[in-house]
Amino acid sequence: MSTANSHSREIEALYSDHHGWLHAWLRRKLGNSFDAADLAQDTFARVLAGRMPVSLAEPRAYLTTVAKGILVNWYRRQALERAYLEALAALPEPQAPAPEQRCLILETLHEIDALLDRLPPQVKRTFLLSQIEGMKYEDIARATDVLLITVKRHMKQAFSHCLAAIE
Amino acid sequence: MNRAAPGAPIDPRILDQASDWLVQWHGGGMTDEARAAFQRWRQSDPEHDRAWARAELLMNKLGGLPPPLAMPSLDRPARSGRRAAVARLAMLLATVPAGWAAWQVARHEGWTADHRTRAGERRDLRLADGTRLVLNTATAIDVRFDPRQRLIHLRAGEILVQTAPDTAPVRRPFLVGTGEGRMEALGTRFSVRQDDGSTAVAVLERAVRIEPRHGAPAVLEAGRRASFTAAGLAAATPADEAAVAWTRGMLLADRMRLADFVAELARYRVGIVRCDPAIADIPVSGAFPVADTDRTLGMLAATYPVRVAARAGGYWITVVPR
Repeated sequence: MSTANSHSREIEALYSDHHGWLHAWLRRKLGNSFDAADLAQDTFARVLAGRMPVSLAEPRAYLTTVAKGILVNWYRRQALERAYLEALAALPEPQAPAPEQRCLILETLHEIDALLDRLPPQVKRTFLLSQIEGMKYEDIARATDVLLITVKRHMKQAFSHCLAAIE
Repeated sequence: MNRAAPGAPIDPRILDQASDWLVQWHGGGMTDEARAAFQRWRQSDPEHDRAWARAELLMNKLGGLPPPLAMPSLDRPARSGRRAAVARLAMLLATVPAGWAAWQVARHEGWTADHRTRAGERRDLRLADGTRLVLNTATAIDVRFDPRQRLIHLRAGEILVQTAPDTAPVRRPFLVGTGEGRMEALGTRFSVRQDDGSTAVAVLERAVRIEPRHGAPAVLEAGRRASFTAAGLAAATPADEAAVAWTRGMLLADRMRLADFVAELARYRVGIVRCDPAIADIPVSGAFPVADTDRTLGMLAATYPVRVAARAGGYWITVVPR
């Protein structure tokens, strides 16, 4: 109980001492105040949820590390959303998903995108050709000019990675 | 049974085995022996089963994504993009035209259809074997001919089939598949319509053998029409050329309820066409140029005590009492 209390007191202190500074830091990175405010909030939420030791010698270094992770994630989401919207706009009307489906699709795309983020580009591409385009391993090997055994190795790597990370 | 919690970590070696199975399943080389071995692996340890549940979860997520959207989104070129995307999100969600079908429907009916028509469009096709097909409004079909059969898969809409004698050395049946079952042409001319949860067939020449997915097969003779669900066939009623007047762009109504007439008309038009319940039972008769929905609506208003109220640039039509 007292640990929980002291933890939240430390968070409060961290927040009041450094929130303004973190917001300014993010605003410089992002170039706008609204997104910076959101991401600053996310950063503190992460710190709170993480139950990290917050009585740190270098609280700002710690906050920057967490914020950088959130920022990278945010950029990836932005890039995905842009690509998604471009694809959506290019789709013939009868094939376009209904509005209520679009957000569901986007959420799943975010999830898959995050899962595949750490994979080497060639592995990721092989995986997408197989799992999204439905191509056979032989056809992927031909299309990407690698050996069949390499396609299988890449698929194995991607599956293992996803199974370990999926929730 | 000492089962681990669903979210608990799984031994990496077991995940590795699950990955091997995934690679093998997708490689298309699963023999009967391999399938049996897979079943044994999965059943031999609850942790194996748990690992495979994750694999299924992954497959479900991936399988639910429409390729034309997922591929460009996930396989996007690496760019350092910033900002503006949120504003564009709001803008594009507002301006991209709403699809006429829910996405789940589009997924089954649209992504990969070999031939399709838009609302209000009609198309004549001649297949490799000489069979003539007419596609009515908002229709999607796949054509699968192989040495054993000639198969048309009707994903949505309505078709008229006029089969030709097969020239292949071995006789191949001519089949039409829908969500509820399949039909085999017994040398013939007939129409098939995919409705919501049922299939309607009208036979004009010779006969069609109908096999509902779970019901008893039956033969429908010329001059008869019937609809069927996966469970079975409803009673047949008389049919004549009026049933396929749409192939000439006409809808022939013989004391048809106005509500039914309007529902029929809605198939030919992008947008929504509704009928005020107060006038739903007015009987409508006559020949209407259904492909020209504006003209048909005008004819309705001129002949019957109704008025056509249009909103949103004609997207939203309501037939109301005059």
